[in-house]
Formats: sequence, C-alpha cells, structure tokens
Amino acid sequence: MSEMLGNQFFMARNYPAAQKELEEVFLKDPQNISVKKKLVICYTQTGKLKDAINLFSKLLNENIEFIINTDPELDDCPCPELIEKIGNFNHQNESSFDHLLTLAIIWLYCDENKSLEYFKKLHELEPNNLLINQSIKKIESFIRLLNSN
Amino acid sequence: MSVNENLKDHILDSIAEGVFTVDKNFKINFFNKAAERITGHYRNEVIGKFCKHVFQSEFCFSECPISVVLQTRKNIYDFESNIKNCVGQDKPIKLNAAVLYNEENEPTGGIISFRDISIFEEISINLQKQTQFQSMIGHSKSMQNIFSLIEEISDSDAPVFIHGESGTGKELVANAIQRTSNRSDFPYIKFNCSVFPSNLLASELFGHVKGAFTDAIKDRAGRFELADNGTIFLDEVAEMSLQTQVQLLRVLQEGTFERIGESLTRHTDVRIIAATNVNIKDALGRGIFREDLFYRLNVIPIEVPPLRNRIEDIVPLAKYFVNKFSLIYKKEITDVEENALELLSNYNWPGNVRELENAIEYAFVRTPKKNKIDLTKLPTSLLDNQSSTKKYFVTHIVSSDREKTDLIILLEKHRWNKTKAAKELGIGRTTLWRRMKELKIVE
Repeated sequence: MSEMLGNQFFMARNYPAAQKELEEVFLKDPQNISVKKKLVICYTQTGKLKDAINLFSKLLNENIEFIINTDPELDDCPCPELIEKIGNFNHQNESSFDHLLTLAIIWLYCDENKSLEYFKKLHELEPNNLLINQSIKKIESFIRLLNSN
Repeated sequence: MSVNENLKDHILDSIAEGVFTVDKNFKINFFNKAAERITGHYRNEVIGKFCKHVFQSEFCFSECPISVVLQTRKNIYDFESNIKNCVGQDKPIKLNAAVLYNEENEPTGGIISFRDISIFEEISINLQKQTQFQSMIGHSKSMQNIFSLIEEISDSDAPVFIHGESGTGKELVANAIQRTSNRSDFPYIKFNCSVFPSNLLASELFGHVKGAFTDAIKDRAGRFELADNGTIFLDEVAEMSLQTQVQLLRVLQEGTFERIGESLTRHTDVRIIAATNVNIKDALGRGIFREDLFYRLNVIPIEVPPLRNRIEDIVPLAKYFVNKFSLIYKKEITDVEENALELLSNYNWPGNVRELENAIEYAFVRTPKKNKIDLTKLPTSLLDNQSSTKKYFVTHIVSSDREKTDLIILLEKHRWNKTKAAKELGIGRTTLWRRMKELKIVE
C-alpha cells in the first residue's frame, strides 16, 4: 500500500486499482486532501457514487478552492476526458440522478458554474437531498465571493 | 544548493546514462545532461512535468517501471522499453528503475537511469567484429565448448536451460542460440520472470481478457502469443510461482494455454530458452521448482562458468569494454595499463562479467582523454582487495602530478587521517607528510 502507487494507477487511469491503494492511504491519513481529491474521481468511475458524494461534500467544506483550482494539465486532472467520455456514452441516461451527480462532481474540478448547473438539476430531482443542497450553498457562496473580488 | 548536492549533480551530469528522478506524484524533479541528449528535451522544460507527458511511452500506462518496483519491492535492471523523443520519434531504451524511500520506509519518489539502445545497435555492429562468437568473447576452454554446443544445436527446437551466476552472460548465450537457430527470422521475446509480481506473471505470459481481474481494463495478448513461431527467453525462471510453473509445463508438453479469464484454448509454437542463477538442485529439493518442469526445460543444459573460473577471458573482455566505451563516450582511450590488467586478473569477480564491465566504465569515465586506464582509476572495491595497490603507490609516489589526485583520493578515503593513509601505502607518516607538501596538498 502506498500513496505513490495509488498516484501511478490514477495517472494511468486505472481507477479500480487506484481506488484500492488510495483508500488504504486515506484510512491511515484522513487529512490528506490530495488523496481525497483523487478518491472522489475514482468513486465516480467505479460506480460508488454514494461514497463519491460523501467524500466530495467533506472536501467541499474543508477546502473548496483545492478542487476548483485544479489545473487540468499541471495536476493531470482526468476530468476533461471523463466529461467527454460521459458525453459520448450516456445519452440514454442523461437525466438520471447518477449521471447528473457524476457530472456535477466532475465539473467542479474544471468549471464551478457548470457544476452548479448540474447540482441545481439534481435539486429538482431530489429537493430534500441534504448533501446536494449543502453543495449548492457552498458553491454559490464561493462564486459570490469570487465575483465580489 | 550544498557542496554535496552540487557534486552529486556534477557526477550525474558526467555519466553517459540518462538519469531522471520523480517525486511521489510522478513529476520530474531531476533530469541530467545525458537525459537531455537522449530525449532532446531541455531540463528546464521538463522539471515539474509528469513523466508520462514527457516520455509518452505506452509502458507509462501498462508497465510503468516504478510502479512495478513499488509492487514487487525489487529494483528493475536492463528493462527494454520505448520512449518518444522531443519530436515524437520512438527511441528504444534499456532502463534501470528504483524507488526512493523516506525514514518511515514510505515511497517518496523514483529514479530511472536509461540508455539509448539505438546507439548501441550501431555500436554493436562495430563491436561485433571484435567478438569471437555472436557478440560473445571467450578464449577459455569452457566458453569455447559453449560456442561449439550452440552451433551443434542450431537445427534443434529443443528447450534449453541455461544456468550460471548473475552477470555471467546467460542472456548473451540465449541471444546466440536464437540467432543461430532456424527461428532466427521469427519473433524473439525476452521475459524476466522476477520483474512481475506473482499475481501478474501468468497474465503477462498468457494474456488476459477484459474484466478477468481488477486491473484488466482491456483484452491483452501474453508473451506466448506474441512469440508464436519464434522463441521465448524466460530469464530467472525459478522465480515463477508453482501455479505458473504448471501452466508453463502445459505449454511445453502440449503447446496450449488459455488467457486469464477465458475458456478458449489457444495453441502456440514457441521454442523455450530458460535461465536461472539459483542453485536448481536446491530449488528442487526445497520444492519451489517442479521436477517435471525442470526435466522438460533441461533438454539441453548449458552451464555458463563464473568469470573467476575463466581468468584467460578477463583481459580480452576488459579490452573489449574499453573499445565499447570509447565508442559510447566518444573518448580516445584505447588500452589498459599492465598494472590494472594484473589487478583485474587477480580479482575474484563475484558480479562476473557485468561487474567487470561496470569497473571498466567507472575507470573509463575517470581517465583523461588519450590516456590508458591505470590501476588508480579502478573502483575502490577492487583496490581494497588487492595488495598490489600498496606496491603501486610506493613505487609511483614520486612520479607525476597525477599522483596528487590519487593521493587526495586516498586521503579522502581515510577522511584525511594521515596515519591510516600512510599505513595503507606502507610508508611512514612523516614521509607521507613530506610528499603532501611536495605535491602542494598542504602548505
């Protein structure tokens, strides 16, 4: 088990293997935000969307900028390619909760406004979902702060 | 940057091998001059970038060497791979990989050293003329016998099992067998069984289908499929798990196998050359190597002798390596002094020909242009083992300015303890002091 091996699997886009390594690192070091950030993406790609939104919400509360300031090239963020892939393959389920949630999470790594757009669609589907509502509030207040500066 | 760091960078910049290091995120944090020359990338362009973006090798995704070391906890040596240079051309390389650990034994980075083997292909054509048999040098009776045997078996497809200590040249023997065989125009796949963790080994050899296990993200042919109609060289075959040995036995007996996760039986026609450096009788006795597999593989056994048992090969090999490095480093050094050859011939070479090659390269790098390699330039591990060192220093201590450097090296070795340095030279402390003053090592 090592963060470095998890990073390599993540870099090679082998999400199941990366998830396995990074989960073990996360258990030992729950404050490691870099690991959390990668794990959220792994969960979206391995179908563990409940884990993804739980961890994503925690990360959002702890350090929203750490997600938003992701640089696709400098951070080797897979989100642009994942968004393209999801766009190519998921036409039939494009209004499903899981599909929208995946996009809402992933978009925050690239574009906070797009992410907010998807979270609002999720809110329409599940108006009482606490994690979704909290995420919307957090992103909105961050955008407000950004605009006021 | 400290003096030590400067010195390390200077050393790493002066060697012919490309060297780069990465941090735990696989971002490059060191890139030496040879790496710049081989890849065409400038250091300041690649520092801070992900290694996969710089090298763009397919291996970055499937068989990242550092990832393999992380999984197996064993360093990789002489692994053949491909990278892209700065203009996107493929470059064949041979690499070594290791992982760097912190005090808590957690991986913090990796180091890769690599050589452009396209240069070696050109050089090897040149060097081949200097070898006696298929890129091998062997004046000794034992090596001559091996050369004859390889010629005798050139029409055969029978499995060959090569035994010999590490560094004796088992791979060269395998290459020679393949090149002289009827299968020389067909695929030749080399595979080191110790490189892959046991859970991946069968998949690498026999292939897998998508979804067969966590990491199987697409269908993949194994080495036995790729080697069909040709030859496969299984190095360090005794490192295979017993389960994989059963699968290998089946290929030997029936020529059949299945990809992992698939029920379709596939056929392959492959000639197997295996090699090991372990004591095979001991491995059989301990039950870690199957007896039936051993007899199947050992149809034509070849024992490559250790270098210490073929002393007559040491001098020709040393001279061959000098020629090789003069071509690689483009540096005019054509010979080795008698005293150095004497030392080389008297050393027992636990690392065999590979250790000799490394010793010559070390001395070659340290020798100024247009000089011969002399004894003082050889690695200290050799000098420490040789009483002739003492004689050399005593007889040469009053000779030339070059001795100043040698004396400084000796003093450095003893952390400037003059008593210890004088003792090694077999001279009095006062004599040493006087000589240091004459050479202006001290005021």
